[in-house]
Amino acid sequence: MEAALAGLRRPFVPGDQTTFLSDLTVGELVLLEEIGYRPVDIVSGVGTASWNPQFTTAATEGNMWGRAIATAIDHARSGILEELRSRQADGVVAMRFELERERANLLTCTMLGTAVRSPHRQPADGQPFATTLTARDFHLLVRAGYEPTGIVIGVSVVGFAARSVSQSLGLARDNVELGDQTTALYAAREKAMEMMEHEAGELGADGVVEVQLQERPVNALLTHAVEFIAVGTAVRRAAPGHQALGPEFQLTLDDPPDVTFRDG
Amino acid sequence: MTGPSSGDADRASGAAGSVRSEQVPGDIAFHPDGRERKTWTSDLSVAEAAAVRRVGMIPKGFVMGTAVMQLAALGGQAFGQWGGLAGPQLGVGGGFSESYPCAHSYSLGGSVGFGGNVGPNQEHYGFSIEDTVLAASLTEGYRLALERLHDEAIQLGAHGVVGVALFFENLVGSTGTATFFARGTAVVHGGTAPLPSPFLTNASGQHFERLIALGYVPSAMAVGVGSVYVQPNCQARGDFTVPGVNRQIPAAISVARSRARAALAAMAHRMGEGVVHTEWTDRRVSRYAESWDQLAVAVGTAVRRYSAEALPVNPRPVLPLRP
Repeated sequence: MEAALAGLRRPFVPGDQTTFLSDLTVGELVLLEEIGYRPVDIVSGVGTASWNPQFTTAATEGNMWGRAIATAIDHARSGILEELRSRQADGVVAMRFELERERANLLTCTMLGTAVRSPHRQPADGQPFATTLTARDFHLLVRAGYEPTGIVIGVSVVGFAARSVSQSLGLARDNVELGDQTTALYAAREKAMEMMEHEAGELGADGVVEVQLQERPVNALLTHAVEFIAVGTAVRRAAPGHQALGPEFQLTLDDPPDVTFRDG
Repeated sequence: MTGPSSGDADRASGAAGSVRSEQVPGDIAFHPDGRERKTWTSDLSVAEAAAVRRVGMIPKGFVMGTAVMQLAALGGQAFGQWGGLAGPQLGVGGGFSESYPCAHSYSLGGSVGFGGNVGPNQEHYGFSIEDTVLAASLTEGYRLALERLHDEAIQLGAHGVVGVALFFENLVGSTGTATFFARGTAVVHGGTAPLPSPFLTNASGQHFERLIALGYVPSAMAVGVGSVYVQPNCQARGDFTVPGVNRQIPAAISVARSRARAALAAMAHRMGEGVVHTEWTDRRVSRYAESWDQLAVAVGTAVRRYSAEALPVNPRPVLPLRP
């Protein structure tokens, strides 16, 4: 600590030093430095799109709706990749990824994270990567012998038939599956995952990790559809191949948390 | 940002002309906590205090800086109603500004629809303009709070303050005011002479310990603020009759973020080699009718490298077995 305080005692003369910016905690900074990555700058990307619900219902694919969501996310992704290139960074980690729905059908996608660089990384395509992984998961991924290739998305909107009033009243007494709606959800999932796998393939990935799903049924006047969004990080094996981490099992001696004074 | 010496420079580096010095509360004769302290106080958790002690420092006292500010903002309410008329003149004052005409075909100045021949449809017209006045106002509030916290730390003979929480909220006063807070725990290193200027960090006790082990020492807090006033056009308001890609909202967020990032970088460059622990906030502040100020605020810790020899950490993967 004496050495650290002595460092503060020396007058600091701002010069040509390259000042890095990061929203990493110190713990995250340590984890990244351990695997040879250093922070460069805070980078961000934003995309917004809106759509007309087109009175989506049975046999009507919400193509325009799905495309609008994909476009908003894609614009944010392109924006952050552009900022990474402009800073000669290798990638972005510990990224905040937010989808904000506003009035009507207005969707804003924002991304913000810390651009990092490593003197050891030599990607085949020379392209920077974006990832939804936390710094901890990125650390584990690299130590396990993998590298991220990019964020991949899948979006699909599928309409389903509305129940008539008589159907609704009739079915209310029965315990039956609503086949149309189940089928629509399956179809939306299939299409979204197909799109995601296609994107991963184009990036030369071996697989996709940490896929986050968001499904949302929309039942409104003349609009009956299910919206399905999948976002994940495409990864590929690095040259040395998989490295076993050999985790150590740990049995904590703590008591379970006290629930007596839980809120509410 | 933190010390009396840097205050004038920071004020000068804010948006030019937006905060008049004779109105700045910093000029008020201000006496920070002058009471006699009978025992040390701290807002550190037990684990944080233990981490601080592991690097040889002990808590000296809880310190705080605060300032209640009247926030100035560009344009006032006039923009919301009449801003569309100023469309072609936007950007005259410098800084970012863009106009966003109505996305409907009938207001493009053509001959289709009512109003087509008399210029842009006022209701559908939108524009965005950088609000340097509000950004400077917020920067000044943060600066005052930090400076007063720093003064209390100096009074205590502290070497630094850890776990600084820096934020603003509307507690006192009415619309358009904000109360800025900076609070944390002053710490000292026994037997070492006081520093010319105590360090400030928003890192917790444990993160402070890790930072020292990594070969970095915190020097000061750095703040960056960006603001863009948004009067949305029909598309940015979510009008379902004009769906598609929207440029106004992404541009406003991107510019606000970019200004906050640049201000953070400029301040950090004067104080260290990097910034960690940046707490980033994107926020919308409602203005007249449907308009808003798109804010971006970045608060972090400027750090200096004092040693190139970082202690190896080599974290061991563990898998807890839950009972």
